[in-house]
Amino acid sequence: MSFVKDTLDGVKATFTGLATTFREMVRPPVTIQYPEEKRPVRPRFKGRHVLKRYDNGLEKCIGCSLCSAACPADAIFVESAENTDDERYSPGERYARVYEINMLRCIFCGYCEDACPTEAIVLGDNYELSFTDRRSSIYTKEFLIEPVPEGGKATPQKVEPGIYTRSVPAMKDPED
Amino acid sequence: MMAKMVSLTIDGKPVEVPEGTLVVNAAKKVGVDIPVFCYHPKMEPVGMCRMCLVEIGRPVIDRASGQPLREEDGSLKIQFGPKLETACTTPVSEGMVVLGATEKVKAGREDILEFLLTSHPLDCPICDKGGECPLQNLTMGFGPGESRYLYDDKKHLAKHVPLGELIYLDRERCIQCGRCVRFQELIADDPVIAFSQRGRSLEIVSYSEPGFDSYWSGNTTDICPVGALTTADFRFRARPWELKAAASICNHCPVGCNLTLNVRREAVSGGKWVLKRVMPRQNEAVNEIWICDKGRLGYHFGAQNAERLEKPLVRKNGELQPATWQEALELVTERFQSVGRGLITLASGRLSNEDLFNLGKLTRSLGGKSILYSSMAGGDLTTQIGFAPGTNFADMGKESAILVVGSDLEEEAPLWWLRVRQAAKRGATLIVLNARQTKLDRDAHYSLRFPFGTAAAAVLALVNTLSPKRPELPESIQELARSSELKAAAKAFAEAKDAAILFGGDGMGLAETQALAQACANLLLITDHFGRPNNGLLGVWPRANDQGAWELGWQPSMNLPADLAQAQALYIVAADPVSDDPAYLNAFDGQKFVVVQDLYLSQTARLADVVFPAQAWTEREGSYTSGERRVQRYYPALQPNAALPPRVESPGSRRAQVLTGLRAELDGPQADFAIPAFLAEKLGYEGFVHASASLVFARLAAEAPSFGGLSYQKLAEVHEQWPIVGRSDLYYGGTTYENTQGLGVQLPLAQGGASLLSWPQVADFKLPKLGGIAFPITRLYDRGATLMHSQLLHKRIGEPYIILSKQEASRLKISQGGFVRITFTDAERSVVVQAKVDEGLPERVVLAPRSFGLPISGPTPVELKPAG
Amino acid sequence: MSKEKPPYILLRHRDIPDLDNLEVYRQNGGFKAFEKVVTQMEPAAVTEVVKASGLRGRGGAGFPTGLKWSFIDNKSWPHYVVANADESEPGTFKDREIMEGNPYQFLEGVAICAYAVQANVAYIYLRGEFWNLAASLDQHIAALEAAGLLGENLFGSKYSLRLYTHLGAGAYICGEETALLESLEGKLGQPRLRPPFPPSYGLYGKPTIVNNVETLANVPLIIERGAEWYRSMGTEKSPGVKIFSLSGCVNKPGNYELPLGTTFRELIFEHGGGIPGGRNIKAIMAAGASSSLIVADERALDTPMDYESVPSVGAQLGSASVIVIDDSVSIPWLIDKTTHFFRHESCGKCTPCREGTFWMSHLTERIANGRARREDVELLYDVASQIRGKCLCALGEFSIEAVLSGIERFRSDFDVAVGEVQTAAHVEQVPASD
Repeated sequence: MSFVKDTLDGVKATFTGLATTFREMVRPPVTIQYPEEKRPVRPRFKGRHVLKRYDNGLEKCIGCSLCSAACPADAIFVESAENTDDERYSPGERYARVYEINMLRCIFCGYCEDACPTEAIVLGDNYELSFTDRRSSIYTKEFLIEPVPEGGKATPQKVEPGIYTRSVPAMKDPED
Repeated sequence: MMAKMVSLTIDGKPVEVPEGTLVVNAAKKVGVDIPVFCYHPKMEPVGMCRMCLVEIGRPVIDRASGQPLREEDGSLKIQFGPKLETACTTPVSEGMVVLGATEKVKAGREDILEFLLTSHPLDCPICDKGGECPLQNLTMGFGPGESRYLYDDKKHLAKHVPLGELIYLDRERCIQCGRCVRFQELIADDPVIAFSQRGRSLEIVSYSEPGFDSYWSGNTTDICPVGALTTADFRFRARPWELKAAASICNHCPVGCNLTLNVRREAVSGGKWVLKRVMPRQNEAVNEIWICDKGRLGYHFGAQNAERLEKPLVRKNGELQPATWQEALELVTERFQSVGRGLITLASGRLSNEDLFNLGKLTRSLGGKSILYSSMAGGDLTTQIGFAPGTNFADMGKESAILVVGSDLEEEAPLWWLRVRQAAKRGATLIVLNARQTKLDRDAHYSLRFPFGTAAAAVLALVNTLSPKRPELPESIQELARSSELKAAAKAFAEAKDAAILFGGDGMGLAETQALAQACANLLLITDHFGRPNNGLLGVWPRANDQGAWELGWQPSMNLPADLAQAQALYIVAADPVSDDPAYLNAFDGQKFVVVQDLYLSQTARLADVVFPAQAWTEREGSYTSGERRVQRYYPALQPNAALPPRVESPGSRRAQVLTGLRAELDGPQADFAIPAFLAEKLGYEGFVHASASLVFARLAAEAPSFGGLSYQKLAEVHEQWPIVGRSDLYYGGTTYENTQGLGVQLPLAQGGASLLSWPQVADFKLPKLGGIAFPITRLYDRGATLMHSQLLHKRIGEPYIILSKQEASRLKISQGGFVRITFTDAERSVVVQAKVDEGLPERVVLAPRSFGLPISGPTPVELKPAG
Repeated sequence: MSKEKPPYILLRHRDIPDLDNLEVYRQNGGFKAFEKVVTQMEPAAVTEVVKASGLRGRGGAGFPTGLKWSFIDNKSWPHYVVANADESEPGTFKDREIMEGNPYQFLEGVAICAYAVQANVAYIYLRGEFWNLAASLDQHIAALEAAGLLGENLFGSKYSLRLYTHLGAGAYICGEETALLESLEGKLGQPRLRPPFPPSYGLYGKPTIVNNVETLANVPLIIERGAEWYRSMGTEKSPGVKIFSLSGCVNKPGNYELPLGTTFRELIFEHGGGIPGGRNIKAIMAAGASSSLIVADERALDTPMDYESVPSVGAQLGSASVIVIDDSVSIPWLIDKTTHFFRHESCGKCTPCREGTFWMSHLTERIANGRARREDVELLYDVASQIRGKCLCALGEFSIEAVLSGIERFRSDFDVAVGEVQTAAHVEQVPASD
């Protein structure tokens, strides 16, 4: 008796186990073929930083160093200089002559984004941050800044005097 | 004289302060912060900003009995006023009760801050003051959380207004506190900026040419409680919190202002540490909280730039070529050894005590002669009857007298001008005795003029009215000697409890200043004004550490060109005689071996056989002895190019022994004290240290008598100073740095005293009937190597010029700004320069500024011709 | 209830033609008082007479004149006397009439005051717009010097006196005595910190008496006729006569010289001829733009105009420039005018006044133009209250009187002003007017 029962139990157990296997065989896979295929990121994902531009191509960054001050990992280095109307990078008087983020140090906390008075630095969707030597971990302004939008001009721009006198634009409070 | 003390309570804390103290200062003393914008502890209150409003209660006095009324419990009955009162304008009174934290006071502060912020642009992110801004800090501490003012109603004003090329005004940020205007009027005595318009249109303007024409303009950026005034030098160069600070001492003049050097790594300079700005550091006995613009903006020669020497140079095949230290040192060792007694070491007071000590010791060991490169003599007297320990201009007032002779003090030593002026304002008798009018005359009680060339005789004329010995006076001084004003001045000087003399080299060379110093010494000796605090003789030296050089036994030579010509080898350190006067060219005949040690390839260095690159004062440690005989330490701010960072070792340690052995990898500029020590080591002399300045100083203290007992630790001692300034008290004293790294120590006087009395022979000085005599004068902004690296100041420095009398100008048919060819008959050299006309100048007198490329070291005969 | 008009005291030129002629003035007793004080009286005695007369400063504050003179610091010399002819309060035009019609009485008053404090130099500081008056005063001063009534060793005594006129640059603030002194010294017209007060630290840091033109014009007759005569007019605490400058919604605006203590009703309806078109009186401003708005009810109209009684209706007598407001006037419109005036005239020295008047002018402009919400009225009230008690001088403190009293006492007008708009046009940009 016990032999037959044992056998039947064994077979039942086998099929119970295999049932999962068969079920999963017909289900679509949860893995994706990275890097050919990329998973979409969440709206609040914090990836590699992007330095934003205004529609006219001027840089939003005014070189205030507040991101650098806010950074808990001391990953950001900013060096500023003065704009002129002949060579204008950003509205107002000041722009970032040098902007560097050390990606080995960055912990993607997003404090820099919070600190930015002009919404110039935004943690974007890009999470592909690989490099093969330490020096390449320092992302420079040229690398971080977004391309000139359509209709805008590259910086530095030559502009009419007296237009871009405000560094910090009037902004609405965030909705949420 | 003890002031009456008054007791009061501030926020429950009992305070006892002298009568007349303002409530805001009394509060500061017990650590209660009463916020202010317009009030500054160095200036009289105006009560404009209304930020310091507090509740003040006073005991109720019974009219009939004159006694204070009491409450039932026996405590004093206190009556509070209906309105808040300004703590910055209200002096304390007995029994006063000050409340600075009540709801009413808090609301009042919020109200004022909300008002101030309605017109403020709130562009803190790009403001250079952001991070060290009183408005920012006080808003965080006392301000309303949000403004009810509509952003669209804001008045937009110009944000980029140059008040001159040095200082920029942002009209939007200005909160009209008037600190800058009051500073310029009351402290700098250059009222070149003022308010214009009224109400919200009130703005700071400068009508001077050039704009904001003052040597003190930078201080207004320190005391500006917002970012309205910024220096062109620091504009947008860094955020304050990113800067590292190193304590330093200014090396432009003998005052020895305490500085803080702010440095930061700079990407565009390849990641090097770079000097970003120079700030004053508080030392109430030296510079208080101020510095002049030369100190603030003229630091670039000490920065690293492409023109700095980086490697030793050795002359090979007639050309100076880069060499290793090993090679250069060996060559110099060999040649110095063979020359021995024929060596002359010429060094200037730009060097630190440690440098001069090692250089002097090396020269002595070789049997050579050390000469101080200076245009002024008299240091032998200032070491003995100079300023005694405890001397402080701040303590000179009603019972003091100050005589300033032969000096255009604001041009030669700006901070001394400021402090002497303030002493005069406090009631000190100020006697200004000069050949021409200077800015200090405005504050002088006795403003006396002597004919050009008779400075020593003029001082002897003062002596004559007091002394029975009555030295003979030359003819040309008789008129002054007989004047009642001079007699009154002499009397006031003699009768003053304390008296000090500042003598300079205005219009004088070595011989003339020697006689002047002796005459001044005599005046001090016969009136018994020496050897105790707030008395004595002060030399307004041309360089920062001339006094230190004298203390260490260095002296100038009365006939330097001849001395140099006779030497077999020259070791010239931090001096450039050739560009000062081509007469020295004769010494560089190609026969003698010349070593030059400097920061830059100077005219003299170009003629050298070996050039040693030296470290700037910003890159190393050291100490200077100020004219007031205060030894002060400076600290390294930058890392020298390619050199190992200086290390401090205790003498005798194994590591120190290893370090004193010459390292093969020696590279880049070296400290001025280290290079002679390297040479000494190669020469096999004992007792030289090159590892660190502190070790050299320890030797110096052991060997130089007046430095006995001093150490770097002693020099680094501090005590609390008033007013309290510093990082947490920005709103009060400004952004000047708190002194945490040393107030310095004044040297004891060398023995000598009364035996110094000797009567110099003063020959009469007559101006020639033909031609003219050029007298050297000192301008703060000159074309010397230490200033020309500061591009920002070039416009202020200007082109070479001379100053002519009206008669001379009309004879030459030259108007203001015309060009003239001036021939120095002795030097057989002529230069074309611009002419300025001074109506007050006597005929035949020509004023020639030093360090403007004119070969002038003392009164010199010249011929003038108009030049196209 | 017409009474016989007593002879004028300050506006005597209305009774005596050509009084601006020195001969005529002297024929009418002119400069007898000055001669009397210089030749027969000790300086302190002159001050005592003025003190006894109870004369109070007519510039606005009503400070006892004799008392002020007695404060002069006799340890510091020289002394100065400055006549404040900066008459800039909106609605005030009394000093101008005195200086135009009866200049010698004023100048004699200056001279007597100068003698009383032993000043050898006196200045007459006129507002910039009074350039023609300055020119005529200069001629009068020249005439006095020619007649030997000014100059060295007057009337054979050792006393010497010179008078000078000085034109300001047209700033309201220079009517404030310390700002006036700054301006007279050639500096920016901004008030000084007080204390020290001018009688101890005034012009060029020397003891100085600053008095209003009308105050000084009273002095010759007080000396001539005695303190008791002066006390016979007006009230006990506010003796004498006062020139009331009547303007606004009234049939006969102008200067009225009346005893202090005359009621508003008598001034407005008897002398001023009532309100045009028979409209109803709504409010009274007793002291020009610096005044609180008095609700013109029966009680207020029956209030005597003197320094003690006017506060009972929540205002000050000030310079007695009575502006009558009838029911056709919107109070928000009115306070928009006053705040713009103060914003324009604020010297900018102290924060609450400089920033507060600027802010208030934006708010009142929005309210008056119907572009505001109810909250803006609350805010305006808050801002005005924030200014109160914090300013360096009286200008800022007075700038809020009309605003606060207007909102408190005429709230319904504001409700109309903000109720007219249905949508919140709060964020609409207001063009700045300067």
